[in-house]
Amino acid sequence: MIIVENLSKIFESKTERVAAVDGVGFTVEAGEMVTLLGPSGCGKTTTLRCVAGLERPNDGRIQVDGAPVVDCPAKTFVPPHLRNLGMVFQSYAIWPHMTVFDNVAYALEGKKLARAEIRRRANEALELVQLDGFADRPAPRLSGGQQQRVAIARALAGSPSALLFDEPLSNLDAKLRSEMRSELRRLQQQVGLTSIYVTHDQSEALAISDWIIVMRAGRIVERGRPTEIYRAPKSLFTAQFIGNTNLIPGTVKAAAQGGGPVRVETAMGTMAGLDPNNDLKVGEAVRLSIRPEDLAITGAGAPGAENALTGRVRVATFQGSAVEAELAAGEETIQCHFGRDVELAQGAEINLTFDPLSAVVLRDEALEDELDAA
Amino acid sequence: MRRLAALRHGLANWRTVSLCLLIVLLIYQVIIPFLMITWASLKTARPGDAAFMEWGFTLANYVRAWADAAFIEATINTLWFSLTSTVMAFAGGLFLSWVVDRTNTPFARFIGMMTLARIIIPGVLITVSWILLISPNIGMINAVLEWLTGIKAVFNVYTFWGMVWVHGIEMIPLAYLLISSAFQAMDPRLEEASTMTGAGTFRTLRRISLPLIAPAIGAALLLLFISTVETFEVPLLIGGRADVRVYTTEVFFNTARVPTDWGLASTYSMALLLISVVLLYFYFRLLRHGERYQTVTGKDYKPRRIDLGPWKYVTCVASLLLVFMITGLPFLIMLYASLLPEDSVSMIEPLEMLTLENFQALFNEQDAFDPLWNSTLLGLGSATAVMLVVSAIAYYVHKTRIPGRKILDFLAFASIALPSVVLGTAFLWFYLLVPLPVLGTLWIIGLAYLTKFMPFALRFVSSSMQQIHVELEEAAQVAGVPWWKNFFRIFLPLLKPGLLAGWFWVMVHAFRELTIALMLSRADNKTAAVVIYDLWENGSFQALSAFGVMMFTVLIVLVTISHAISRRYGIEEQT
Repeated sequence: MIIVENLSKIFESKTERVAAVDGVGFTVEAGEMVTLLGPSGCGKTTTLRCVAGLERPNDGRIQVDGAPVVDCPAKTFVPPHLRNLGMVFQSYAIWPHMTVFDNVAYALEGKKLARAEIRRRANEALELVQLDGFADRPAPRLSGGQQQRVAIARALAGSPSALLFDEPLSNLDAKLRSEMRSELRRLQQQVGLTSIYVTHDQSEALAISDWIIVMRAGRIVERGRPTEIYRAPKSLFTAQFIGNTNLIPGTVKAAAQGGGPVRVETAMGTMAGLDPNNDLKVGEAVRLSIRPEDLAITGAGAPGAENALTGRVRVATFQGSAVEAELAAGEETIQCHFGRDVELAQGAEINLTFDPLSAVVLRDEALEDELDAA
Repeated sequence: MRRLAALRHGLANWRTVSLCLLIVLLIYQVIIPFLMITWASLKTARPGDAAFMEWGFTLANYVRAWADAAFIEATINTLWFSLTSTVMAFAGGLFLSWVVDRTNTPFARFIGMMTLARIIIPGVLITVSWILLISPNIGMINAVLEWLTGIKAVFNVYTFWGMVWVHGIEMIPLAYLLISSAFQAMDPRLEEASTMTGAGTFRTLRRISLPLIAPAIGAALLLLFISTVETFEVPLLIGGRADVRVYTTEVFFNTARVPTDWGLASTYSMALLLISVVLLYFYFRLLRHGERYQTVTGKDYKPRRIDLGPWKYVTCVASLLLVFMITGLPFLIMLYASLLPEDSVSMIEPLEMLTLENFQALFNEQDAFDPLWNSTLLGLGSATAVMLVVSAIAYYVHKTRIPGRKILDFLAFASIALPSVVLGTAFLWFYLLVPLPVLGTLWIIGLAYLTKFMPFALRFVSSSMQQIHVELEEAAQVAGVPWWKNFFRIFLPLLKPGLLAGWFWVMVHAFRELTIALMLSRADNKTAAVVIYDLWENGSFQALSAFGVMMFTVLIVLVTISHAISRRYGIEEQT
């Protein structure tokens, strides 16, 4: 179990003082995989490096399995090599002057084990990542994916109390990435290791995490199960950062009552959606977030009906398993994701509807720059 | 039929023709010097004798050299001088690169900049300025120490260790450059990964950091060693009086000074050549080995700086002092000595005695500025010629599939194994044999410079050339642009940074070069560096210093102008 409390890290240069991490706190339960997700510069990697001990935070406490490794008020700082953590780096950080086996065995050398035991455990770790046939290969003569496996075996070999992943898949190509993603998840569950995983890739985060922590500008925006984060994000930032979504601007017409939907006045008529924070008031500027796959085609609805949109097909592309379309609805562009049997002619006018339970209404805020930077 | 037509078309293709011309040029410039030296070493006749060109060889020169105790002594001196200078320069370079790149020492950037600024100070002037500082008779530091303590001649530059000191100091900037690029090539994540497996600082250093950096450091040491084996200024000016003979001076004295001994000169040349070829072989092997160790580097590379606390002031003062000795001192001493009265026999004179008469004498003398003009012409001319040849070579090697292009790369690079004295000797002898009217003109020096500086310039251009994607050229081809237009419109603008850097490097080095210019000098083609040596031989250190100051001035003006030009181009590129 890892407990992080009130963590802050300030980077100072001659010209500026940046709080890379600003009062971050979270808990990783034993055996769970928690992902820190956010655009670059949000402080996720710095947080991880503070847990690893590669950065010294300015404030806060960190506990690993009940033992404090960082306690800034008490000036406690356990150096990284005494924390018993495993780490997988973005650049693999495979030692190029060693063989695959040596890379893994090195992690066991400090543990005062017999040679045979080191050999047994290193081979076990290599087997776990399915590299048992490669033990004697010089490490640089492996593909990117294989190097990443060596890095994982190395991190696992020393039986650490937790594993830290720093964007481990971002240097791999798309196909390999999705393969490694499932493999990582399988390994983590098989070994049952407490893990912190840092990524800027939202689909990766959704696929492998028990919990996702969304970060922005050094702070935590929200925390939730992957399904919650995707279905009912609590902030516009999360909604836009994770997955594709349509964000229709409007103002609150009627607030939620007893868990029911909020009604929003938009240029396309009145729409209803959930208020995940339960605090919107009438007249507030909001955005209604509808995922493209939640829009369905209907026949001509009654004029003035709720949750009804009409749009003209600008472009429709057949994706094999689905049809993706971009519709022009007044000023807005609406993205849709239909089943593969839908046929759409360019310029055709179609009517859409959605379930109020699948849409969320979020307080409007300016975000554009930050997401572009990501 | 079609294949034949295509072949004929290919032969007629003037891209192939120009490739052949380039190969011929390179064979002429690079292979002939090697052959010349080897040939002469197997002959007892001298170049110009009828017997010299006859088919028939002898090992008499080698036998004579090996039997000579002087040869053995020169061998030991050369190796020992190189080893000690290398160690000293390495220690200095290591210290500076650590201070500049890895600590929070104040003025770190300034220290790094000043170390590299040394490139513009001619080696011969550095040597002279250290003689003016610590020679037993006139040395300024000795005079001050005598005044303070009463002990005469505390330091003596005219010793083996005096030579090591001066050459070591002179090589520190090169050591600094090599070591800091070696450190920058290493991914700090590799050390972090070791820490995360539970290894402490010492085990990480011993098992990860040192083995990873070793090939690059080994290569740096070898290059420093080779540079010392080939060095000429310090052995020439100091080695004579210190009675420390090394290969380079032996080649020079046996070739260019009476009594000449062609046979011995060529055997010494062969020995030099052998050392440099063998060491370069290991150098490139280590370099390749080191490159294998470079893995994917994360984008967030940040060298970690150590907080030295109050010690940072100690490192600051120490490194400023070192940099002052490297870059500041030669200049200041030259300036000061140039103001001393002509008849002064001491470096210490009352301030009111200081005078401008040395400069007056210089300006009154007719033709006094011809050598400066010669050096300028050689600097500008050879830099331009070298860059033209080298960009054509880099283009063929990296951007075409014409068979034979690899030969170009090899030929252009092979001359790196030719030490300057050997190169000078070979050119001298070759043009004694070949009736081309270049002896005694700037042309012969310029031709030798082309061979000398090509390998270095090639490295600047090759790395920029490799960054230009083939598709850029293919896109132009598809658009129907002829290849030569393509070269001028696409390649040259993209190559500009590499070209400018290479041009600048060659210009400065050609301007300050002494060895080749001295070996090929006659009355009318003296360069500034050669004049400095002549003045030194005449024993007039005041006139020498005045001329040295003028040489500095011209070089600084040239550097400033070319910097201004390249900066303007740089800015244009960005907008």
